Amino acid sequence: MKKNCIMVIDDEKIVGDMARRSLEQEGYEVETFLNGESALARLEQKAFDVVITDLKMKGIDGLEILRTIKQLYPQTVVIMITAFANLDVAIEALRDDVHDFFPKPVKIKDLKASIQKALNKHAD
Amino acid sequence: MMKIEHKIYLSNIVHILLLLLIGTIAMHNLNALYTKFRFITIANELNAGFLGIRLAEKNFLLYDDKTALDEISKEIRQTSTTLFEVRNDIIRAVGAVNYGKLTDLLNQYNQMVAKIRQRKFSPDGSFNNQLRAAGQELKNFSNDITELESTNIGRIIIRSKTILHFSFWAVVLFALFFSQLIVRNIGSSLRRIVNLTQSISKGNYQPIDTKPSADEMGAVVIAINSMATELGKREKEIIQSKRLASIGVLVAGVAHELNNPLNNISMIAQTYESVYESLSREERIDFMNQIEEQTERLRLIIKNLLDFSRPKEPHLSQADPNHVIQKTLELISNMLDVSNIRTTLNLSDELPDFYIDEHQIQQVLVNITANAIQAMSDGGRLTISSRYLEKEDEVEFEIRDTGKGIPPDYLEHIFDPFFTTKEEGGTGLGLWVSYGIIKQHYGNIRVKSSGDAGTVFFITFPSCNKIKRCTSNEKELHNGH
Repeated sequence: MKKNCIMVIDDEKIVGDMARRSLEQEGYEVETFLNGESALARLEQKAFDVVITDLKMKGIDGLEILRTIKQLYPQTVVIMITAFANLDVAIEALRDDVHDFFPKPVKIKDLKASIQKALNKHAD
Repeated sequence: MMKIEHKIYLSNIVHILLLLLIGTIAMHNLNALYTKFRFITIANELNAGFLGIRLAEKNFLLYDDKTALDEISKEIRQTSTTLFEVRNDIIRAVGAVNYGKLTDLLNQYNQMVAKIRQRKFSPDGSFNNQLRAAGQELKNFSNDITELESTNIGRIIIRSKTILHFSFWAVVLFALFFSQLIVRNIGSSLRRIVNLTQSISKGNYQPIDTKPSADEMGAVVIAINSMATELGKREKEIIQSKRLASIGVLVAGVAHELNNPLNNISMIAQTYESVYESLSREERIDFMNQIEEQTERLRLIIKNLLDFSRPKEPHLSQADPNHVIQKTLELISNMLDVSNIRTTLNLSDELPDFYIDEHQIQQVLVNITANAIQAMSDGGRLTISSRYLEKEDEVEFEIRDTGKGIPPDYLEHIFDPFFTTKEEGGTGLGLWVSYGIIKQHYGNIRVKSSGDAGTVFFITFPSCNKIKRCTSNEKELHNGH
């Protein structure tokens, strides 16, 4: 069976590192990126099932990534994480059809559950 | 105090009364003149009649012409009729006494003529003389009152002229006095209002006119005062809400800054727990080291925050602005050398002293020059200028770099806490702290930046003289041209 591909974008390197370790353990294929530019470039080459992105980043930020994905790769599910526990931004992101929204610090267990749910929905 | 409206009404009423009085007097004089003039016309007619009588009397006395007596009687009858017809005019002009005397004299004369005509006696020399004398008296009296009235007409004209002359000046002076009174009143009230609004525009919202007058200006002053109070209240509200907003920005920034390392620690711990079995000893130690690094990062953020949340009490003293710049340059000279940056100083020697915490102002200048140096990573020119703004009585510093500039979108945020454009190592607190220090010194900071031409910061501080904090006046004399 083909592995589900997950992309993690966060300018905090540790987030990517830890997400990779945890998610690879679950049998996912994980690629990590430190900024939006390199992530969007990679999306042009490869299709991902789930993209987990930080909201606030220099240059291309999480919202822009979300909009680009919804426009160009509508099959891809987007999960947003942010250190800004700001409700206004969450509402805006949800309106733009983000699959889930996690404020930092993130519970990896919840993240995994959210990914699983997204993939199940997809499979239906 | 009387209302301005009422003052104007009163002044108008007094004017109208004055004009009525003058008009009445003038009318009265004109009536008198008309009466006198009519009398003169009548008198001329009468005098002609009397002259006729006297001529006939002469014919009778000198030539004993009996027909002359008929002539005299006819003239007397005509004159009597005329006298009776115009008696009202004559009485009005010369009075009833004179009229009575005139008719008496005419009757007397008429009786004498009638006696001769009835031939009751033959007129002798003495009777002739009496007749002549009576005619003479009649003629003279008539002439006298005519002449008197002519003189009166002259007098009335002169009197009218005098009265008109005086009333003219009275009206002019009265008008000048009243308008001056009202104008001065309005003028002083307007000046008070101008002062009041000027003080409001300078940010003093205290109602200054404690006892407004009862007139319209008083009402305006009351309105302006209540507006000032309201403005003051609004300004306080705005300042308060701005303070709350900036606390909000600060708290959101703090939350974000703390959440990132916290999240890192949390994710390391969660991952560690789930992958523990598969980790080598070195990997486990590496996990713990990463946690320690993130803890150190948190500690640094908290230390910085505490430094800024407990601003040191400023030690204010009078200082030479150029001296502060020179000392700052010594602090950053190493940084300048390493970064291959040339420095130009344009310091004015006409600067007044200012009243500042030297250490804090140096901190501001270091923050801004350090940003400039980082913006010129490929080398460039740093120009620091000082000048005296005479109109504002302020000292201005200008720090100009030839670096990469600040994008327009960022310009309005550069003084916000935790705002940074630096890839790493920037706390985003430098300019925010600088702004706070400058505001504490009653100063101002503004920035201009255009893509390629670099960035300029202008910082102004009041001279010590402007905030009445000069302790020695050595520099004041220098500046007191």
